Amino acid sequence: MAKALTGLAAKAPGLIKGVVDYSTPKLNTFWHYARVELTPPTPADIPKITQGLNSLVKSARTGKWKEVPVKEAWLNTLITAEIAFWFFVGECIGKGTIVGYQV
Amino acid sequence: MAALAPVQVSPLIKFGRWSALLLGIMWGSHHYNTLKASETAWRVEEAERKIVKDAHKATEKTRLNREELLYLADQAGVKVPPNF
Repeated sequence: MAKALTGLAAKAPGLIKGVVDYSTPKLNTFWHYARVELTPPTPADIPKITQGLNSLVKSARTGKWKEVPVKEAWLNTLITAEIAFWFFVGECIGKGTIVGYQV
Repeated sequence: MAALAPVQVSPLIKFGRWSALLLGIMWGSHHYNTLKASETAWRVEEAERKIVKDAHKATEKTRLNREELLYLADQAGVKVPPNF
């Protein structure tokens, strides 16, 4: 057991370097997309947000939502599902565990 | 596959996502605190009930032990000492 630990400690710098070399390009790709797509909205976006909400409400009120093509309706469903998943991820963060409440 | 350009996500969707995340965190911690409070209250009550239950179980056990020994003595023909 002690020999395995000393062997691991001797290999650790090489292992860490391997992990870093493998993950850096992938993290760079992730950051390249996340910086544009995943950032929170800025206060400058507020007019566009209210515009979007108003158009949703108007479409619901006037019945325009019935004229939406099926492909677009499907995309809207997927987007709504994604927003719901962010809520559940937030709930997992808030309660501290992934499965269940550890009371 | 060539590298795709990042998509300009609509601010409404971004607002929806991040507010859902914040609401989820708030709901998760609030619900956890509520459940924890009621569970600790129940555990305190259960600890009190346990003292009573354990005392009751101990007296029952000695009573049943005595009755079993009396029965065995009767079956085996052993004389029971007085004040047993």
